[in-house]
Amino acid sequence: MKKKVLAIMLVFAMTAGALTACGVSATSPADSGAAEATEEAAPAEEDAAAEEEAADLGGVSEDPNTLTVAAWDANFNIPALQAAEAAFKAKNPDFKLEINTVSGSSDVENAITNAASAGDYSTLPDIVLFQDHYIQQYVANYPDAWQDLSAANIDWNDFGAEKLSYSTINGTHYGAPVDNGTAIFAYRTDILEQCGYTIDDVTGITWDRWLEIGREVKEKTGKYLLSMDHSGDDLPYMFMQAEGLSQWKNGDPDLVGNETYQKILQVIVDGANDGVILLCNSWSEYTDESIVGDQVAGVMNGNWIIPTIKQVAENSGKWALTTIPTLSGKEGYAANGGSSLYITANCKKLDLAQEFLAYTFGGGEGSMETYDNALKNGGVITCCISAGKSSVYQEPDAYFNGQAIYADIVEMGAHVPVVEQNDFHYNLRNAIGTAITNATTAGGGSDLAAEIQAAQEEIVRQMNL
Amino acid sequence: MKKKGLTVTKKQQTAGWVFLTPAALLIFIMSFYPMIQAFITSLKTGSGVNLKWGNPIFVNYLKNIPADKTFLRSMGNTFLYLIIEVPIMLILAMLLAQILNNRDLKFRGLFRTMVFMPCAVSLVSYALIFRSLFAREGLINSVLMNLGLISENINWLGTTGTARAVIIIGLIWRWTGYNMVFYLAGLQNIEYSVYEAAKIDGANGWKTFWEITVPLLKPTIVMTAIMSINGTLQLFDESVNLTNGGPANTSITMSHYIWNEAFGQGVGHFGYASAMSFVIFIMVAILAAINLKVGDTRD
Amino acid sequence: MTDKRKSSAIQKRLIPSYIFLIIVCFFSVFPIAWMIISATNNTVDIARGRMWFGDQAMVNFKALLEAASSQGAGTSLGKFMSNSFIYSAAQTVICIFLCSLAGYGFELYHDRAKDKLFGILLMAMMVPGVATLIPLFTMMSKLGFLNTVAGFMLPAISTPFMIMMFRQNSRNFPVDIMEAARIDGLSEWAIFFRMYMPIMKSTYAAAAVITFMNAWNAYMWPRAVMTKNSAQTMQILLTNLSNGYVIDYGLLMMAVLFCSAPTMVIFFVMQKQFAEGITGAVK
Repeated sequence: MKKKVLAIMLVFAMTAGALTACGVSATSPADSGAAEATEEAAPAEEDAAAEEEAADLGGVSEDPNTLTVAAWDANFNIPALQAAEAAFKAKNPDFKLEINTVSGSSDVENAITNAASAGDYSTLPDIVLFQDHYIQQYVANYPDAWQDLSAANIDWNDFGAEKLSYSTINGTHYGAPVDNGTAIFAYRTDILEQCGYTIDDVTGITWDRWLEIGREVKEKTGKYLLSMDHSGDDLPYMFMQAEGLSQWKNGDPDLVGNETYQKILQVIVDGANDGVILLCNSWSEYTDESIVGDQVAGVMNGNWIIPTIKQVAENSGKWALTTIPTLSGKEGYAANGGSSLYITANCKKLDLAQEFLAYTFGGGEGSMETYDNALKNGGVITCCISAGKSSVYQEPDAYFNGQAIYADIVEMGAHVPVVEQNDFHYNLRNAIGTAITNATTAGGGSDLAAEIQAAQEEIVRQMNL
Repeated sequence: MKKKGLTVTKKQQTAGWVFLTPAALLIFIMSFYPMIQAFITSLKTGSGVNLKWGNPIFVNYLKNIPADKTFLRSMGNTFLYLIIEVPIMLILAMLLAQILNNRDLKFRGLFRTMVFMPCAVSLVSYALIFRSLFAREGLINSVLMNLGLISENINWLGTTGTARAVIIIGLIWRWTGYNMVFYLAGLQNIEYSVYEAAKIDGANGWKTFWEITVPLLKPTIVMTAIMSINGTLQLFDESVNLTNGGPANTSITMSHYIWNEAFGQGVGHFGYASAMSFVIFIMVAILAAINLKVGDTRD
Repeated sequence: MTDKRKSSAIQKRLIPSYIFLIIVCFFSVFPIAWMIISATNNTVDIARGRMWFGDQAMVNFKALLEAASSQGAGTSLGKFMSNSFIYSAAQTVICIFLCSLAGYGFELYHDRAKDKLFGILLMAMMVPGVATLIPLFTMMSKLGFLNTVAGFMLPAISTPFMIMMFRQNSRNFPVDIMEAARIDGLSEWAIFFRMYMPIMKSTYAAAAVITFMNAWNAYMWPRAVMTKNSAQTMQILLTNLSNGYVIDYGLLMMAVLFCSAPTMVIFFVMQKQFAEGITGAVK
């Protein structure tokens, strides 16, 4: 037993030594490392399984050529990371990327929160995937948790401005963009046809016209023209962005007295009341029941929804995608979701991490290969302009009846307007979700203006907590 | 009842302290110390690591909580679950225990096992099972549809009333067997002769139940009631995994709302969340005290 | 003959009880049966409400194996299962030892001060888990206990409920034999190990079942303290699987089955001792 303890102490002493040699952290890692070593001895005695955990508790690897990363979604982000690992091996054959799959973005957020609250970042991996809407707030709340990426060899002009507006905070670049959140509106052309419409009839139309078509589709085919997970309803955000507007103005919610906003919400409420829009209770209801369950003739969301649409093999060739309607009838562009990679404070191999990100996702030599494979294996679409010129992006997609959807999406992405973001994005989304629920007939049909008023008050209350 | 007639020496007294110290110390370190820290945090406002002392110091308790309609609603929901679920569950459990305590009943072991079985299913698992059963296109709807009881799928989890009902059904399903085991155990402790005597005195079943069974089971009833009240007031998993608090927060519980405020929305209002959890703590303490007073048993 | 008639009369009287029990059992078993059936079907059949066993069990199992191994470095279904087992077993053993020791001390050596202290400890039952999550995480992180069995169990190895159970059941412990043992020269510790523990073994069994189930089913705390995938438990795997963009229900129900089977088996095996132990039966 004594030998075991000694061995563990030794491992820790060595790790601690290695850490001090790098000399990154402000606190003395040697001290905390030694403290950990003594504390660790206790559970290691109790249980052999704990012992093997003890050696690499830090969340990072000692190997100089290994980076660790935490990300979610085995069908989307993970293949992208694997593609990047493979691409970077061309430059650094010893390179290894240890990928930690977590259940969702909230796991990464909670890990940062917990680590920051404990004042100890050693649990974090070198790199984390982080969702765009939250990052501003997490940089503001936990400034010490992140490392500046500006020094990396990335040509920032090679990325869409809208995407970078999330990860650039006070002029400092923190994140390497991964996917492109550009919103698409996909329609079932066969169902539109049954009602006498083509994809062009739903492109560049007003919401009023869209509702008319939707009512007709519902009447003739029983299908909804749109569905959304109403427990996290992104429709108001995307609809507003398509108008070129934000729900925020100078850091305050801009809802009450905002005529455009009220009109937008009215479209959603009317759509829900008339059976044009299906508001689902949960994510699984949205994807599994409404989309895979073939209840809808239209899907609008970030383009990461495409793999879900494609799950229904028998509908291959029946889909087409286009832009979003607006109040005025011009073509609308929006983005939703999407995430970027960030280097955490726990990364002691900053050079390697920067080099890796720049070479792969950052538009470097390996970016074409990274993004091509990310697209093929995970359906991840780049927002790196030069990588989007790859031949893979020009290929027609059979599921979408031969439309070169990826090139179209990259093209649409360039038009997405930059709108004001806010830390309280999700608080607003929840409050407005409640307002919409209450305003629909199913939810009691209360007055929309009053509900908007209540939502704004609720957001202001939360912001002042 | 059982004060010791033996004199306990000083040495034995000390031995007693030695025995209970490790457990007691752990409770102090793992429950009370964090709770004190949470209380200190509850006096702060702001988010993340940028917490500031409240101004005035009790601002979370005096101003922010009373103004928070969602918290008040979550409190209402939680009490609704408490008032409906706990009595139904405990009465059902008592009834089942009473039936299963009959020695003439065949297959008692089998019945007992089946009634208890839900308890062996983890909280996450059962929430997933119920969520799929009550989904819009789920089994419950298709059964009702086939029986011709409904003409259109019911949106169980998306309508306030039914979402709450599903949570209550889930809770009753999961926990009735657990409580039943405690009652059954209590009943088996009651000597059969007591009942025989009551029978001779001409007491009917109902009278026997109220005048013999209930008083003798009182400690067990108080214990299960405290556990159930405590568990329901801290209800979390069902709200998160079954309905996700929806629709529009109308089925959310207090703990779930606190979790959301602390971790769920990216904005970590730790001070405010701690203040709300302290409110739960106080409510549970008050209810437990009432319960103990009502059912005071120790001599 | 008369005996038989008597018993059949009793059985007739019990018919309403049987009907009631059968209805209750149907409702309590149905969701579990559905879960087991679903584990053998694919997503489409599950969504269509298929109520009989399918042939997808192996497919779902293989998919689960694969999904479990793709959760990060060093993960596999076996790893998650063994993590859950090791943590739960360790927590169970240490918890029932500490709490029985305390319950023994509180009841059999009780005096005014100890009763007061017990009253105070009971308050810990009312502390909401959400409130202490961050302070506890901070503590574990400073101690270096993240991703260890110690971090998993420390907040749960001494619970007022368990102490209460041992304390209450200790009332049935024959006090007289303690005195006899003392006269025989046994130390207080020897009395605990050599007399209390064997005599109270059914209480230990019940306490072990409850603690193991709580540990196995724990979710909120393990998710916070187990930051590394290879240290996580079945419950965390289950939520990970249920949160993807695309959910395979057959796989998920297979995971639910794996998550529930151990606790069910333990209850089946231990149910007699469990029922006895709750009552505080003394052997």
